[in-house]
Amino acid sequence: MKFVLKSISKNSGRLGQLRIKESNELATPLLMQTTKGGSIPYLTADTFEMVSNEQQLLQLTLSTMDQMAESLAQWNRPLSEYVGLPGHNTMLLLRDPCEATPAGGNDRDVVPLFTRRGKESLTATQYMDMVAKFAPDVYQGLCDADTNPESTKKRVQKSVDRTERFMDECYALHAKEQRLANSTLLAPIVGGYNTFARTQSIKHARAQPATSYGGYILEGFHTNGLAATALQATQLLPIVEHCLQQLEDDKPRLMPGAFTPLLTLELIRRGVDVFDTSYAYCAAVNYKALTFNYTKGAEQQTAFLDLTDEAIKEQFTPMLNGCSCLACRKHTRAYIHHLYKTHELLGPILLMIHNLHHYLGFFAVIRSSIADDELSQLIDLLRLQTAGVNMDYRIEANSKVVSKAGLGKGFIAAAAV
Amino acid sequence: MSTSKIPPLTYKVVAECSVSKARAGLMTLRHSEVRTPVFMPVGTQGTLKGVLPDQLIELDCQILLGNTYHLGLRPGIETLQLAGGLHNFMGWSRAILTDSGGFQMVSLLQLAEIDERGVNFRSPFDNSECMLTPEHSMQIQNAIGADIMMQLDDVVKTTTTGPRVEEAMERTIRWVDRCLSAHARNDDQSLFPIVQGGLEVPLRERCVSALMERQVRGFAVGGLSGGESKHDFWRMVDVCTNHLPKEKPRYLMGVGFAADLVVCVALGIDMFDCVFPTRTARFGCALVDSGQLNLKQQRYKHDTQPIDENCECNTCKRYTRSYLHHIATNESVSCSLLSIHNVAYQLRLMRSMREAIQRDQFPQFVRDFMARHFVGKPIPTWIREALTAVNIDLPEDAVQHAKESEMRTEKSR
Repeated sequence: MKFVLKSISKNSGRLGQLRIKESNELATPLLMQTTKGGSIPYLTADTFEMVSNEQQLLQLTLSTMDQMAESLAQWNRPLSEYVGLPGHNTMLLLRDPCEATPAGGNDRDVVPLFTRRGKESLTATQYMDMVAKFAPDVYQGLCDADTNPESTKKRVQKSVDRTERFMDECYALHAKEQRLANSTLLAPIVGGYNTFARTQSIKHARAQPATSYGGYILEGFHTNGLAATALQATQLLPIVEHCLQQLEDDKPRLMPGAFTPLLTLELIRRGVDVFDTSYAYCAAVNYKALTFNYTKGAEQQTAFLDLTDEAIKEQFTPMLNGCSCLACRKHTRAYIHHLYKTHELLGPILLMIHNLHHYLGFFAVIRSSIADDELSQLIDLLRLQTAGVNMDYRIEANSKVVSKAGLGKGFIAAAAV
Repeated sequence: MSTSKIPPLTYKVVAECSVSKARAGLMTLRHSEVRTPVFMPVGTQGTLKGVLPDQLIELDCQILLGNTYHLGLRPGIETLQLAGGLHNFMGWSRAILTDSGGFQMVSLLQLAEIDERGVNFRSPFDNSECMLTPEHSMQIQNAIGADIMMQLDDVVKTTTTGPRVEEAMERTIRWVDRCLSAHARNDDQSLFPIVQGGLEVPLRERCVSALMERQVRGFAVGGLSGGESKHDFWRMVDVCTNHLPKEKPRYLMGVGFAADLVVCVALGIDMFDCVFPTRTARFGCALVDSGQLNLKQQRYKHDTQPIDENCECNTCKRYTRSYLHHIATNESVSCSLLSIHNVAYQLRLMRSMREAIQRDQFPQFVRDFMARHFVGKPIPTWIREALTAVNIDLPEDAVQHAKESEMRTEKSR
């Protein structure tokens, strides 16, 4: 993996090019495609091609794919081909950023892996053995990232100490493992919201030879799922800034998780390079279409369109006016509301199509804004979509129960005529 | 509308098998042309579960089935009317067929009772008493706006015997007249009557001849595929196609297993529907000529072949059995991937039959198909008998085994 920084400015973030193996260059700030079980959630490969034809970096997660390890050990073609998305790049992470990772299970020598079948514990050797079976283009080092804004100092310190031990083994095994000869390792930076702990974690990584890893993954700020959408900027940004200042410029920095668009922009401004689509996913599964506006001069918008809202029952208009995605070109709010009411699978499919389209467009605008030195203006646009009102981008779980009371009035009415 | 002078359904036979009753036809509807014999995937609630309309078009699906009972409940007729019908509402530009809603009422609502007025039921929502009459069914189906709609029929269990079967058949004939006079969009939508009569030849004959006196553009054969013996099943289909007019399409309701499709095409059926291909997909099963692969089985764990290397669907082009084994029933995308393959399988089977009929090689197609389908297993006696009735003889091997196996299955019922 090669990373070339093209521009850097104190207030406008960094533009770079990431080249993974023989691939095309991927422009950073980059949006990775979150996956579940190796597939882009809800979308078949051909459906995803209706969203984007560009080469992607797939964010694969061991917690949703561990059961495939044995099959992959016998697979001698690229990992991307196995999951039906040939030609794309692969990055293997431990945890699924879309779902809250349960607490606990971490120990001196093991990291818990929460899978569909329950909890498993992985030592560094077992972990590296599994990674070797996957042979991804890029993968993260093993770490204890079970910390969040509420973690105690003691818990945070433990996560750093354990991660150091895990990583000593990972570095050694990475150098030896033949199946990982073409894979790039990412050094995990942990330490919760504690500056001393973060510095210790960074020092451990930077003490390694520069060629032993290809980038950084910043973890331990949240434990995935919707919690990431509720992080406070005032709490998160200073500690991230503290970390980034201590990292060399020529390695990419990743931050997995469903950060809000606004927080994502602030992280980009401070120098984070790679994010994922878990925010778009979390919105889709809660029947929220992303509608925030990232184009100057366009009409004022809200953060979401709530497809569970009875008020759109007879709105035969697209989820987002003017949107060119397949879902907005061909389907209406009323229809997707009906798919929600009937729990039909096509509902989340159409929402994923729209949300991924919207978020990929957002990242393209982010890159051009950095190039034009207009990132601050973009941040202002996202903060105040409607004059004077601060936008709320948090996602709350949809807890509505589809009411049967009003259901089928038309049918009964017809039968009663 | 300039099209209003053209009937909303025209059908012409384009080729006939010189041996059996099989025929290939072209049905022209308001929303699309439909080449028959045709399999209609079931999109119960205004969507084929997990599949985009664009993906169905890529599979060359020409007609989809919708369920009146479900659509009448949600989104309901007011919303459908405001949307300008189901085609607009769901973004599907090709043809749609709807059932009458009666069958689902009887099968889903345990409290449903039928009398001369209609189907009596308790609302599943507020428990009030309601009635679905032939007129109401027409009203809802007119709001849905499907190219082809079904009359409300008096449904009895296929295993019912005695006077109730005859009563249901006679009532079905009376109800078709009520449906025809309540049908408000005869210039856009075609109403099919349903042949009833249980498992009794004279009743089926009486029903066919009564229905043929009505002004209709096609016929459905109902009351089958509900647990009756296959021996009775094929005979009833055979009786109906013997008497139904050749120049109108015939739709056999609820039939969709591959072997049944091949036999019933040989008996002269043009249209089929079944939830099986998409339902079995949700349980991790993929259709192939030899039956179905249950991809959850351990034997597919490391199998890096596609489901079917001769299949051209997007699932077979990209995904291995091994990967599908791991995601089947776990990731919802597997439901989409297997539904696409299974619908592709059904449509390809129908296309192959149609082409064989056009080349006048249908009997050979049937022999080849049965050899692939029952590989290593005896061909069931009912299939041999049904095909013999239309002059298609299968190779004689393993006939004895077939009879024994048939007897075993008869006993186990």
